[in-house]
Amino acid sequence: MRRNSLLLSTASFLLVAAIAFGRSDVAAQRGAGGQRGAGPAAAPQTARTRGPVDFTGTWVSVVTEDWRWRMVTPPKDQSAAASIPVNQEARRVAQSWDLEADNKGGNQCRAFGVGGINRQPGRLRISWQDDNTLKFEYDAGTQTRLLYFDRAAQPPAEKTWQGFSRADWEGPGVGRGAAPVGDNRVTGGGLPGAAGVPGGGGQGLRGGPPPRGQARINTGANLKIVTTNFREGYLRKNGIPYSEQAVITEYIHRLPTHPNGDNWLQVITIVEDPRYLTQPYYTSTNFRLEPNDAGFRPTPCQTAPPLPVKTPSK
Amino acid sequence: MTRFILAALVLAVTASPALAQVSFVGDWSGRYHEDQPDRVPGEEPGDFSGIPLNEAARRFGDAWDVARHSVIEHQCAPYTLPYMFFGPNQFRIWEERHPDTQELIAIQMYMGTYQQRRTIWLDGRPHPPEYAPHTFMGFSTGEWNGDVLTITTTHIKAGYYRRTGVPQSDRSTVVEHWMRHGNLLSQVTIASDPVYLSEPYIRSQEFVTMERGNTNWLYNCEYVQELPTDKNDVPHFLPGQNPFIGEFAARHAMPEGGVRGGVETLLPEWRPGAKPAAPRPNANGGFRPEHQPSKLAVGEVKAVPVQGNVHMIVGAGANIAVQVGQDGILVVDAGAAGTSDKVLAAIKALAPGKEIRWMVNTTFRPDHTAGNEPISKAGRTVNGNTADIIAHENVAARMIKAGIPDSSRPFKTFFESGRDLPFNGEAVIIYHPDSATTDTDSIVMFRRSDVIAAGDVYRTDSFPVIDPDNGGTTQGTIDALNHILSLTVPSKMLQEGGTYVIPGHGRISDEHDVVMYRDMVLIIRDRIRDMVEKNMTLEQVKAARPALDYEGRYGSDTGSWTTAMFIEAIYKDLSAARKAGAATRSAR
Repeated sequence: MRRNSLLLSTASFLLVAAIAFGRSDVAAQRGAGGQRGAGPAAAPQTARTRGPVDFTGTWVSVVTEDWRWRMVTPPKDQSAAASIPVNQEARRVAQSWDLEADNKGGNQCRAFGVGGINRQPGRLRISWQDDNTLKFEYDAGTQTRLLYFDRAAQPPAEKTWQGFSRADWEGPGVGRGAAPVGDNRVTGGGLPGAAGVPGGGGQGLRGGPPPRGQARINTGANLKIVTTNFREGYLRKNGIPYSEQAVITEYIHRLPTHPNGDNWLQVITIVEDPRYLTQPYYTSTNFRLEPNDAGFRPTPCQTAPPLPVKTPSK
Repeated sequence: MTRFILAALVLAVTASPALAQVSFVGDWSGRYHEDQPDRVPGEEPGDFSGIPLNEAARRFGDAWDVARHSVIEHQCAPYTLPYMFFGPNQFRIWEERHPDTQELIAIQMYMGTYQQRRTIWLDGRPHPPEYAPHTFMGFSTGEWNGDVLTITTTHIKAGYYRRTGVPQSDRSTVVEHWMRHGNLLSQVTIASDPVYLSEPYIRSQEFVTMERGNTNWLYNCEYVQELPTDKNDVPHFLPGQNPFIGEFAARHAMPEGGVRGGVETLLPEWRPGAKPAAPRPNANGGFRPEHQPSKLAVGEVKAVPVQGNVHMIVGAGANIAVQVGQDGILVVDAGAAGTSDKVLAAIKALAPGKEIRWMVNTTFRPDHTAGNEPISKAGRTVNGNTADIIAHENVAARMIKAGIPDSSRPFKTFFESGRDLPFNGEAVIIYHPDSATTDTDSIVMFRRSDVIAAGDVYRTDSFPVIDPDNGGTTQGTIDALNHILSLTVPSKMLQEGGTYVIPGHGRISDEHDVVMYRDMVLIIRDRIRDMVEKNMTLEQVKAARPALDYEGRYGSDTGSWTTAMFIEAIYKDLSAARKAGAATRSAR
């Protein structure tokens, strides 16, 4: 009986220790730091050091899907909202789309807001703003999104095109940093034997994108982003609306390196909008890692007018 | 109990998390929030937008006539893997685990569309050899990258990346990445195709778990012949004559250059009029050897089972079919010079103690017949003679003309259109087309085993070697392919399996493979015939590249049978026929 009590006491201690360990991780995530035990102060865990995936670098959208609606401005016709689960109200609003009025009214960026920006052809530059904030810069429309891992961060009073985004790591390897480069099973082309550097960088490349073919990939985990507090915008260039009541959830994956050396970023976007959509709207957008950011050329929010519809001639 | 709790807690504190593996088990239904008009109702002709296709694929797509779906053998053809998840689909996933260890061996899929079954092997097995049959779903192996399941698929039949004729070759390899977030399954498909794509074609699709059962799990397809049609009528448009090209761009207010597709059109900086992008070297390659079809080692000769009593020997020049049973061994073709010892060893291993009783030559060509003498001598008829060699009499005549000695020539010759014999409990039917690739060809059917040895009438490694100097004709080759199609019957798996076809060279095939090959020969023939009727010279015809859309798959600039030789053979054949027709008309 006494022996059992001792074991239970030990078990309780370990349980408390386990919880405490977990809490310290959470605390570190908040930037609180703190010491564990009597040893030297441990480096605080930040979103960057906990990150199981390295997304940094410049990525180009490769438009193999919805080409007809992404690479050109589609006309305002019966098929304007094809593929999107819009309701009647959204159709009505879309039919009143007026590009000129948007331009004159300072609303040029409606198609470049958080609900549509990933579908714009362009380049996406990802870097760390600080240890707990990831920065997504889009050259299309010169848009910037800040993704806050810090739970203490609060949305600004004024709504913006890109809204307020909370980010979390998900999946295996969170807290252990990205996979070592030498893991060929994952990287398909890493440097054998080279150690990975947790957080971002490695091989002396901190702050810049890893070279093509030598990229640290990930542990198969992903980034989850939930965005709110944005201004009403367009899901598609031709005025298919999303409302300020919408919630946008994204899952970002860096895919295992393709055998030919390509590195792909996949952005799954789920728009839930009680005002304009009849069901969640799912898209997934694919970006390819570029060797540098030479192609990153910011342009203002500008939507070309649709081409005229012609009667097919035979 | 207390110890167990303690142990569990110690593990909880000290152990690294086990490598997470997500379960994809369940019933899934597609969400078509991207490219819905393409994916659900169907596409409009001439829309190649968003595809990194090459010029060969454009030519194929421009020739595409949707009426091709009405051809009997195409009516029930399923989508191939690269399109399957893009099109309307729902699927069921379950796991196959080792009964003792509960390790995951494979993920099984059943797809409602075309009732396709698929196995994704997770036990580390390699991909099959290159001579193995191809299927609509291909052969898949998977590996985990954390929570991401990465799948590599090879051995996929020829099909389409888009339903209105953007072609996908049987040399394609597809890499998929599966990710699950709650009730959402996201699937990335990256197709590499050295024949039709300039670089890998990436797409991603979303599926959600089905909250309520859906009864639409069956796909009963029964082909029908609604109107009498000629076997030589495969709907297609001649170059420049497709009236629907341009219609899509006009109707949807899209730049014509954009809807023609290509790598350059996929990047943000693309503008109408942009020059085609230079292909990146090895853009479609880089696969690990175990993720690609394995190849025979140099000099390796191997017997592989086909179906029933029939096996195929590969690596000895032309393919050899071997039927084994109680009566002994029947061998179709004998392989190239210098391979006979290995061929005989492979045959003996198939049927120890059995005698080779019969041989059949499907042609006079030496890569099929050089082994006649040693293999015949290694066999015995029931009368104690060397194994008899059966062939059409033209085989013997051509061999005599070529100075082949008696000991290597067939003596059991026939002059009629066919010959049959019972052997090993099944009918063996030999059919001689009048003048296919040569005037010596034969096709051999093993009726109970349901296997056809096609000889050089059908091969998967090159354009047919139509040899007018030895009696070959284009129409005869097409007729012979049509005859094979009249013999083949697919299994209930919709245009897959059933009758297997051993080609003269290349991989084991079935009806779908043969019909795609027949279409190819017929379409190229039609194009060249049109050019001949326009009085184009041979050089002009070659410059027009009438076989462009098939060159990457079957063509060659070097070797004993080049694309130029193939075009020349058809051109001369059709020119001679035209002259003969004109002479007949003038004589009347």
